[in-house]
This record gives sequence, structure tokens and C-alpha cells, in this order.
Amino acid sequence: MTRQPPAYRLEQVAHFYGDKQVLGIDLLEIPKGSITGLMGPNGSGKSTLLKLLAFAMRPASGCIKFNGRPEYPFSHKVRAKVTLVTQKPYLLKRTVFENITYGLKIRQDKNDLTRRVHVAMDSVGLAFDRFAFRQWHELSGGEAQRVALAARLILRPEVLLLDEPVASVDTRSAALIRTAALAARQDWGTTLIIASHDLAWLFDCSDTQISISSGTLFATGREIIIPGPYVRKKDGAQTWIKQLDDGQTIVLPPMAGGAKTAVLRSENIRLATTGQTDAGADNRIFGQVQSMHLTGQHRQIMTVIALGGMTVMLALSPDQTAALALQPGKPVTLLFSSKQIAVR
Amino acid sequence: MDYIVDGFVKAIFLLIHLDPATFSAISATLKVSTAAMAVSLIAGLPLGFALGYFNFYGKRHIKTLVDTLLALPTVSVGLIVYALISSQGPLGELNLLFTLTGIAMGQTILALPIVIAITAATVENIDPDLKLTLVSLGAGKRHILFTCLWEVRYGILAGVVTAYGRVLTEVGIAMMVGGNIKYHTRTITTAIALETSKGMFADGMALGLVLIAIALCVNICLSFLRKQ
Repeated sequence: MTRQPPAYRLEQVAHFYGDKQVLGIDLLEIPKGSITGLMGPNGSGKSTLLKLLAFAMRPASGCIKFNGRPEYPFSHKVRAKVTLVTQKPYLLKRTVFENITYGLKIRQDKNDLTRRVHVAMDSVGLAFDRFAFRQWHELSGGEAQRVALAARLILRPEVLLLDEPVASVDTRSAALIRTAALAARQDWGTTLIIASHDLAWLFDCSDTQISISSGTLFATGREIIIPGPYVRKKDGAQTWIKQLDDGQTIVLPPMAGGAKTAVLRSENIRLATTGQTDAGADNRIFGQVQSMHLTGQHRQIMTVIALGGMTVMLALSPDQTAALALQPGKPVTLLFSSKQIAVR
Repeated sequence: MDYIVDGFVKAIFLLIHLDPATFSAISATLKVSTAAMAVSLIAGLPLGFALGYFNFYGKRHIKTLVDTLLALPTVSVGLIVYALISSQGPLGELNLLFTLTGIAMGQTILALPIVIAITAATVENIDPDLKLTLVSLGAGKRHILFTCLWEVRYGILAGVVTAYGRVLTEVGIAMMVGGNIKYHTRTITTAIALETSKGMFADGMALGLVLIAIALCVNICLSFLRKQ
């Protein structure tokens, strides 16, 4: 029995803007029909990754396979199948109806347009009679975002990429966008890749979550990125530290060849709620539980802890959170050794 | 002051009574300017799009060249075209000297850099999200070209109006290449120059009024299209 190829397989993909590397992925597979949550700070490389996945540009090096075959921008294999909705969608200077049918028209598909536009607009909560013949400039930000999504949904895409789809829209529009996007997977088996700061939504709906920092991927909840800048202590011992906003410092391992990215695996962290110490841990960092999200698929509780301007996400079992009686606002202590911090 | 008023009155008279010489000049002007603009748009829009949209080696130099051609004096163009199509020139066998085709050729050289430069500048200022949107909706290269041009149509229309204005009002090419032959290659501008130099102020004014009316009509049409 042959194994179905993943929707995407990225091999040794790197991308640069000028001399600066903005993305470096050794291997990434995204299964067909899955929902992948993409999270990371602004400028981490999320949008670049989505543009590459949308085949809107070529990576500087490496290979992106779509359905098992290497593909590239403007290939007929991807043009009709992959679509992207950006945070601030560009609407063509036309009516809503013409915006929604643009993708169909360039595919020479002109069958039953009115009914299909009706369905697409309904799916994003826009009344056909009220909105279909409005001009692009007669829409609010949330309505424009929903028109952009309807223009993609009418194509019944195999892959729908959403880049911060609810970041700058009102609550009602956000709810409608979320529902419409998830319905695409339910109804047509669409593969969804969603970049969002809305962690609660991402953890609830996605099968897999990927964190991205400085263009590198990390397993969310299992790998904690300690973001730079790192400071080299002038103590003669070549010690590197991360200075937190509240004055605490994280001791890092030696960094040969300068600052890179420091990563700590969650199993190497001991979480305590009292003033416990650990002889083997040279890092004892105080923080506070910021939020807790139940992940949809694995029944884990993604616990976000704020540590002096930095956030750490830990995937905990319900038993662990119960034993520590964790709840948002509760002070916690993270104990870990600098030797267990990897430098990549 | 009276001679200006008299000239104006006579101008209206000539126009109302469909003076053959006046209408021959109007016809010649419309023919050559329309032909020049048609060729300039067909060649200039894709070239301008390519110059504004793509990044390639030598782009900056080409832009400098195109920008320089914007300020090309019409007499210089006339001189170049004259040299090319006169009997001793490389295109002499085509017998284009003192023909409307010859004038249209020169006016194309005049209008083409304007269309290219304004299209390129407009396309360069396209919202970068437009291309991303088009690609993500499955547009191929041809669709991207036409949709981008359509999205910036108002900016390009401004370029077309500028180019048309330059072509419509130039004298140097029409005079040198066309020879100002009555009922044949005499255009509105060359006729104005000739009639005024002969002291036929009213005839010159009539043609001047027509020139202004054509410019007004073109702008009204464009304004209407913009509203659509």
C-alpha cells in the first residue's frame, strides 16, 4: 500500500532578503487535510513561509514539494489549488461580486456565478443583496477581510493559507472568518495553515502547532525559544546571559562563534509553585501563568507563562496542571540548567 | 483688443460654415495624433509595465534614458525622422517624407517615452499586496499584467492625457516631416503658425479654438471613464 504524500514537504528551504536570512527550514511536512497553527512574534518569518507555501515566490534555495512533486510559482498544478488570505487583503477596484468571481473568471469558469457567489458570501456572513454590488471602498475592514475569504472559498481550494486573518477585524467578523475557514476543511477536506496571535483559537482548532522564531521552526510546547539579544558577561568565564525586562537573568551555555538561538526543551524544565530549589538547576526564574488553552487534538493544556517580557509555552497534561493547581495569574518558578539549553 | 474679438467672431464663422481648409487641418491632426497614440499605447503599456514591475540589470539606466526622452525637443525628433525618411535616409524608399504617416512616426517617438515613463512610475507604486493577491487567486502572468494595468488605470490615463496633449500641440515634427502642405499634411498647429505669420489672425484663432475643444473633449471623456 502506497503512503499518501503530504500536502507539503519542505526540504532544506532557505530564504533571504538581501543578505539577511529570514527563513531556514531543514524539513517540514504538512499532511493533507490537516490544520496547522503557525505562531511566532512579528518578523519571525511567518508571512515569508506562507508566501512560499502559496507559491507566490521561490525560496532562495531548497525544494518545496506539493502533493509529492516539486512545484514552483505559476505552475498549473498549484495555481488552482493553493490560495492565501493576507492580514490586510487587497481588494480589486471593483464590486464585491467582481472581486469574488475574479478567481473563477481567470479559470474560465463562468457557470452559475450568481448562485456560487451567494453561497460564498453566505459562508462568511455577508448578505448578497446588501453587499454584492458595493464597491471595494464601501466596505469596513472586517467586511473587506470576509470578501477576501469568500473570494478564496468560492475556488474550493485544496490548501487555504491564512495570515493573521482576524488580527485587525471586529469580534463578529473574526468569529465568521473562523467558522468559514474551518468549514472548508470539514466540507472539502481543505488543508489549512493558519498564522495567528489568537492562541486560544489556534490551540482549539489546529492539529499541529509550529512556532517560528528568526526563521527557524520549533515544536510548540516542547521547545522553548529564548529570544535574543544575548549578553556576554564580563566575568572572565565567557558566560552568556539573557537579561529579562524585570531584571532576572537566564544563564545560557557558552556560544562559540557569537550569538545564535537558545532553545530549551520543555522536559528539561521543572515547574514549581512554591519557593522550591533544585541543586542541578542554575536557572531559577519567577513568572506568572498568563493563559491556559486546551488543545483540540491531544487534550493537553498549553500553558503560557510570562517571564519578565518573555513568554514561555508549556504543553502540560491535565494531571500536571491539577497537581500544581495552575490557573491564570498564579505565580510559578521555572527551574532548569543552562547545560540543557541548546544553541542552534 | 478689437482684432482679438474680430478674430474670435471670424473663428466661429469659419467653424460653423465648415471651412474646407480648416477641416482638412483638423482631420489631419486627428488622424496623425490618433495613429501616434495607438502605436504608443500598444508598445508603451507593456514596455512601461515591464520597466516598472520587473527588476533586471540595467533597469536604472533604461529609466534614465526614458526620462531623458521625455524632454526631447520636437524639432530634434523632426530632424531625426526627417533624416531617416528623406530620400537619402535609410527609410527613404518608403516615401514617407511629407506624408501623414511620417508625421505619425515622429509623434510616436514623442509620445512613447511619456507612456512608458508614466506607466512604469505608476506600476512601481502598485500596492505590493496586489501581486500577492492575484497570485493567490491563481492569476497567470498575462492576467497579472492586465489586472495590474486595470488597477492603476487612473494613473495611466493621466499619462495618456499628457502624451496626447504633447502630440496634439507639437509643431516641430509636423512642420519638418509633414512640410505643412495644404489639404494634405497641414495640421492644426502648423496651420496656426502659418496663418498667424501671414496676419490671418482669425484663421489661426479658429484653429486654436478647435485645439482647445479637442483637449477639452478628451478630458471630459476621461473624466467620464474615471467615474465609471
